[in-house]
Amino acid sequence: MAFKSLSKSEKAYIQASLQSNSSLRGDGRSLQEYRTISLETGVAPLANGSARLNIGKNDAEAGGGTEILAAVKLEVEDIEHGERVDQGRVTCSVSCSPAAYPLASSGGLDDLQHDYSTFLDDILSHPSITPANLGIVRGKKAWLLALDLVVLSDSGNVYDAMFMAARAAIWDTKVPRTRSVEYRAQKKQEGDMDVDEEKQSGLDTRQVKAATDFELEDYWDEGIPLVGREAWPICVTLNLLSSLHFLDATSQEEAATPLRLLLVYSVASKSTPALQGMQLLGSGEVDVAQIKKLIQDGEKHASQLLAAINLKLRDEEVRLTDKARLKFASVR
Amino acid sequence: MQTAFDRRRINGPEESSPPVFDDDDQNTAVYASWKVGDPRRVRQPQDIRPIFLKAGLTSQANGSAYIETERTKIACAVYGPRQSKNTTYSETGRLNVEVKFAPFSCDVRKAPMRDAEDRSISVLVQQALVSSVRLELLPKSVVDIFITIIECDGMEGCVAAASVAASTALANMGVELYGLVVSCAASSVGKEIWLDPTEEEARLASGSLIFACMPALSTVTNLRQSGRMLPMDAIQGMDMCQERCADIHQIVAQALLASTEGN
Repeated sequence: MAFKSLSKSEKAYIQASLQSNSSLRGDGRSLQEYRTISLETGVAPLANGSARLNIGKNDAEAGGGTEILAAVKLEVEDIEHGERVDQGRVTCSVSCSPAAYPLASSGGLDDLQHDYSTFLDDILSHPSITPANLGIVRGKKAWLLALDLVVLSDSGNVYDAMFMAARAAIWDTKVPRTRSVEYRAQKKQEGDMDVDEEKQSGLDTRQVKAATDFELEDYWDEGIPLVGREAWPICVTLNLLSSLHFLDATSQEEAATPLRLLLVYSVASKSTPALQGMQLLGSGEVDVAQIKKLIQDGEKHASQLLAAINLKLRDEEVRLTDKARLKFASVR
Repeated sequence: MQTAFDRRRINGPEESSPPVFDDDDQNTAVYASWKVGDPRRVRQPQDIRPIFLKAGLTSQANGSAYIETERTKIACAVYGPRQSKNTTYSETGRLNVEVKFAPFSCDVRKAPMRDAEDRSISVLVQQALVSSVRLELLPKSVVDIFITIIECDGMEGCVAAASVAASTALANMGVELYGLVVSCAASSVGKEIWLDPTEEEARLASGSLIFACMPALSTVTNLRQSGRMLPMDAIQGMDMCQERCADIHQIVAQALLASTEGN
């Protein structure tokens, strides 16, 4: 996918090394090993949630690796009648920086962007994983969660990186708390229609049935995290070469082994992982028995990846809370 | 959505919406009163819709096919191998798939201009076919596959039918192939797997699967799962699809034989 062209001897070299008895990869990793992943949340101050993820950044240099920037913006949307009365929805788009693909023509870049966007949007906007607290006024207004990703550089395994960055941005997102508001006309009928605004009492916990609008409870409050963010899906790309598979390919490895299977899993707490998406990409030969085994292997890899990323995200939460506390303390 | 002023056509009013018919209130849809756990209506879960496939319909093209499965109607024409207009040299041939929805193909009218949805279907059909054509024998060449969707009933079924039509057209054209590609769709509804879902059935499903393979070589060429499915349901769906693909392969072979006998 990365427009990298390899000579036949390079391809043969990579393939032969992978298929040898003790599989050898260019950077010395094992077949199931990921490159170093660096993740930071809260990078875009104007967004409701954001994250920057980099796979394979060389420690010595400043750049390199596959870098993705993900940001979540919440917008209020009027619900059209019919479906999704109180749920709100998620939409996702990916844009590729031309710097990430210097060899691509502008038409090729647009196509690549479009393909990434449709793949992610199909999976992430599915109602089965839409967070439950995106409704505002039942039947009238809900939050539209716009998740935007930017591919800043691509050195292989961009699908895994995009899904991880999306998960981190969703984890970091805070939905502002809202309160329903009902308009009631004044009792005395005067010439002009004076519409009175009555706020719901803080002690009244009943849903206002005739709510027409909402207000933010606290202007300075950041909000609450999204419900169901643990079940947000992540992707594992299994690169296939005859009977073996390997993870986290660099762009040379991707060009040498064009066949891959993308598996997207979603793990609700303490239940078996569910497949949220699957796509076979590239030309090659694979049979059904192999795919069944790959699906099972993919599950294991996904759980390991999830455990690692969840650990990091919790660390990030602690770091950001400490950072906010220090900032507040220094102002006083 | 604000549509651009299209000079090649007589434009209607800027804002228009499809009409709402009276009998929509009476809910004459097949699955109007269906609940989760009810059996499938009209067909058995493992039955696909009957396929009508004819090769060699468009005499102008190098190869062509027309497929009809109840309310899905797709025409496919292939041109090639012809010289690639790309100036860069490529050692292997390219497969260029272009899909076009007729404006009247779906419930809601589709604009005649190229749409985002067209490209997603093209990518899936190309993925299904690319492993079957011997592109290494066609340097500097491109094989153009043009698919026109005349009527569409269920997007997954549409992709599957388009892949079958395209493979038939390629065989009709006479380019060297490793095998015929056949494709089938499945969806998980409740605890069951239903093959070849219609539009209504796909809406009831929690997840769906598109499976394309070459039965002659027992290799899988395209696998796409969307929505939410348990891994074992996906595996069961793949098995059911593979069985059905063997039957569809027979239909494609018969259609190709019939087209040569006619000549």
